[in-house]
Amino acid sequence: MSTMELYQLTAEKLSAMLANKECSSEELTRSVLKRIEQKEPEIAAYVTVCGEEALKAAAAIDAKRAAGESMHPLAGIPLGIKDNICTRGVRTTCASRMLENFVPPYDAFVMEKLNAAGAVMLGKLNMDEFAMGSSTETSYFQKTRNPFDTERVPGGSSGGSAAAVAAGEAVAALGSDTGGSIRQPSSYCGIVGLKPTYSSVSRYGLVAFASSLDQIGPMGRSVKDVAMLYSAICGRDNHDATSALREYPDFAKELTSDVKGLRIGLPKEYFGEGVAAEVREAVSKMAKELEKMGAELVEVSLPSTDYALSAYYIIASAEASSNLARFDGVKYGYRAKDFANLTEMYEKTRSEGFGAEVKRRIMLGTYVLSSGYYDAYYKKAKFTQLRIQQEFAEAFTKCDLLLTPTVPDTAFKLGENVDDQIKMYMNDILTVTVNIAGLPGMSVPCGFDSKKMPIGAQLIGPKFSESTLFRVASAWETSVGGFDLSRTLA
Amino acid sequence: MNLDIKHLAKLSRLTFSPEEEAKFEKEMANIVAMVEKLPDLDASGALIDPDNPMQMRKDEVVNQPNRTELLQNAPEVQAGCIVVPKVVE
Amino acid sequence: MRQDYEMVVGLEVHAELNTASKIYCGCRNAFGKEVNTQCCPVCMGMPGTLPTLNEKVVEYAAKMGYALNCTINPVSKQDRKNYFYPDLPKAYQISQFDIPLCEHGYLDIWVDGAEKRIGITRIHIEEDAGKLIHDDSFTGTLVDFNRCGVPLIEIVSEPDLRSSADAKAYLDTIKSILEYINISDCKMQEGSIRCDINVSVHKKGEPFGTRVEMKNVNTFSGAVRAIEYEANRQIEVLENGGTISQETRRWDDLKGQNFLLRSKEDAQDYRYFPEPDLLTIVLEQDYLDSIKASIPELPNKKKARYIKELGLPEEDASLLAELKEKADFFEEVLHAANIKPKSASNWVLGDVSRLMNETNKPINDLGIDPKQLAEIISMQEQNKISSSAAKQVFEEMLKTGKAPSELVKELGLEQVSDTGTLQEIVDTVVANNQKSIDDYRNGKTNALGFLVGQCMKASKGKGNPALMKEMLLKVLEG
Repeated sequence: MSTMELYQLTAEKLSAMLANKECSSEELTRSVLKRIEQKEPEIAAYVTVCGEEALKAAAAIDAKRAAGESMHPLAGIPLGIKDNICTRGVRTTCASRMLENFVPPYDAFVMEKLNAAGAVMLGKLNMDEFAMGSSTETSYFQKTRNPFDTERVPGGSSGGSAAAVAAGEAVAALGSDTGGSIRQPSSYCGIVGLKPTYSSVSRYGLVAFASSLDQIGPMGRSVKDVAMLYSAICGRDNHDATSALREYPDFAKELTSDVKGLRIGLPKEYFGEGVAAEVREAVSKMAKELEKMGAELVEVSLPSTDYALSAYYIIASAEASSNLARFDGVKYGYRAKDFANLTEMYEKTRSEGFGAEVKRRIMLGTYVLSSGYYDAYYKKAKFTQLRIQQEFAEAFTKCDLLLTPTVPDTAFKLGENVDDQIKMYMNDILTVTVNIAGLPGMSVPCGFDSKKMPIGAQLIGPKFSESTLFRVASAWETSVGGFDLSRTLA
Repeated sequence: MNLDIKHLAKLSRLTFSPEEEAKFEKEMANIVAMVEKLPDLDASGALIDPDNPMQMRKDEVVNQPNRTELLQNAPEVQAGCIVVPKVVE
Repeated sequence: MRQDYEMVVGLEVHAELNTASKIYCGCRNAFGKEVNTQCCPVCMGMPGTLPTLNEKVVEYAAKMGYALNCTINPVSKQDRKNYFYPDLPKAYQISQFDIPLCEHGYLDIWVDGAEKRIGITRIHIEEDAGKLIHDDSFTGTLVDFNRCGVPLIEIVSEPDLRSSADAKAYLDTIKSILEYINISDCKMQEGSIRCDINVSVHKKGEPFGTRVEMKNVNTFSGAVRAIEYEANRQIEVLENGGTISQETRRWDDLKGQNFLLRSKEDAQDYRYFPEPDLLTIVLEQDYLDSIKASIPELPNKKKARYIKELGLPEEDASLLAELKEKADFFEEVLHAANIKPKSASNWVLGDVSRLMNETNKPINDLGIDPKQLAEIISMQEQNKISSSAAKQVFEEMLKTGKAPSELVKELGLEQVSDTGTLQEIVDTVVANNQKSIDDYRNGKTNALGFLVGQCMKASKGKGNPALMKEMLLKVLEG
């Protein structure tokens, strides 16, 4: 890359350029929109692109800046938004036929915050239908491709977000993570993605998959970009009863790269047989590098990890079966055409409006909650959740954070796992525990495998320890001289 | 395990063709076998977390409803109401 | 109902709370507004929206809990009850399942001259559903979401009621308590208080029968009819050799019949689970204590006290205790002078209540000073004025606002008890009514009333009727 195009730069760099009037938001937005036009036929990351609105918003921000108003660091930065985050006046589909034409009359809380900050919304990003999936292949509209290899999936469910950020189709993006949906695609696409502490980002306006596990989070090309975006979206929201009552620092401003004295735990259960050797090696190499920088490595154990996937699929599906019951063809969304009565309207609408994976989860959720099975499945899963939480708490008495692979392997080929649900679900095995325990988890690039596909490392900390995660991630990023996206941004 | 696909589909307001149903039954059996892997914990006691109490809302009217906006996504509207097939009880 | 059978009834009362806003969103909690103008994305269950619990709902429910002698759980939670229906936009109702806000209470009611204790299983909070509008001229059903999210408490009784009269007394008492602590408008015609009824019957001395649930009972008189209908229906089935199956029936008040809604086989599987969008409700002891302290003496307790301590007839006690303002007024009158409770009751339930009906005003807006009313009653009790004079003073007092004693003087209504004066009047009446005297002596005793009337007339209403009657009798019998 000899001369850098604006779309290739980080939010951090662009924010400084905008502040110094080295470029305008309109120029920047044009650059990214042009990139979208070029890359979309190949990547298909967006469900909806709002070109005109984005340019209008950018011009408005430029005018404000010209008028000397004080600006938020994200003012004028073009972002992509996962299509399960409600945007007032812009259709929000959850990549489902069910919501193909749904236009929310309200903004999600994170959108209110980003709009107030002056961020520019480029459009809505593709995802697995209702965030259920690990490859973005369950989208009703299109299959998004991995910018590193278009034969491969970008991961999911925030696959559109990850692919867009990696391909330069957005400076950064918002995703959502219920069992790994930010971290796994970030890992597959070689970018940084944070699943924040449950309750730190309001879920108001995030179309619910599993309410007790869902969390909106930032995805970007650098640690600082992710910290900037996280600072902009976190905070108490009185419209979300589960939102934590606390103050947050400016994570980007206070970001340091000093890991001296930090104890980094390596949970042995996360480096087992199921994890590809190349992935294990890459993460171990990163651990050793951090040790060289002054961190201490500690082996820890999380014995209930084996049960996490079961607990996760039970809890998530149970909540999903209830959360998705409102899509019944009455108030909004798809309604079947021919029906003889109310029951038929319900059944036809839902059978035609939902894809197969969503139906499987609804059925599983209905099963585990149904009379006679509740105690054996749902309740047991909730108690398993408590045990997993206790084990993490125990581990965090021995270390400050954990380092693990994000996914057992790198991105697989499109179609490879579509008929094998169990194999697909195994993708989440290293990420679901973090959601189950409500902890912050972050995926950072840590090298490439022999197929030249990116590998991701996962940092896990106690609740509200995002600063520590940023610190370690930043130290690593500095030591490798920034994450290499030269192939996807070219 | 006793997976009654027809009953679950009815509860979920979903319908399947016989072929779909057969496929689903197989897939669901695999998934259920996977999720059955849970430790033997004493699952008595309540699912409640008093250490994380909820902040409640003050009793204040804050909404200014806009019916046009609220009904803009509705499949069928008449006389300011959403229309559904005749409900007989 | 046949004498050899006994019925067992349990009630689930749903009462809408009169908070300003809805239970989970900031929409106005208002009845009778134009369709779909009192709703928002939250109560319409739009994707991504979340509930936030109104603290007043918890306060009101805890109040009712204390009023019904319940234990208030300092830690409770909310759960989702899942079912599909067009009036339920989220396809689940946020309610409380295994840990309700209040449980293990009781309510004492008066039925047929005796006090009876009815167990209260639980009281929980939940949201109301919307309204379906059916119109025969139209092929579909219309949905109005204004009522979605209106706060409800559900009060569940133990199966301790044994007759429709028990049920009526229970419902009346619940309603009057809701009004006393001012947490519900209890407007039956607006559907702000409704109930589901569980009924079973069994032969006396035998174990309880299978219970049947009845839904859609919207009035208390309807509840009485529904219970009697259902008990008789069950007896008829049993007498014809049939069995009762556990089912849900729908009451049709117009037809005076109920119809099968769901059999046991079709029982709904609500798949309750803890509401993940809301955290645990934790109530501090200080807060609970302050709620408990705010509960006034309740109508059922008042009624019992009026009967036991004031010696009032049950009917008087019921009517006085029914409304808090009325009871307070009665007690103020009673305590303002040394008068008999029954006299005060007669006045409050008589002239004062009549005035309330005529003017359609609440008791405190009538402009009656309880102390002055007590003065009138006192003068009447002490024979200073006659009962007709008392009424006259009362009317004048309302018109002029003058003090009763002043009015008595002004109008010259002081009762004459001077025997000399009265004897003269009696003698004159006796002299002028020989026919009536003969009638009396020939056994027509009601002639005495006529003679007393003549004496009163001659005294211009001021003579003490009791004394004059005594004097007349002396003449007649002598």
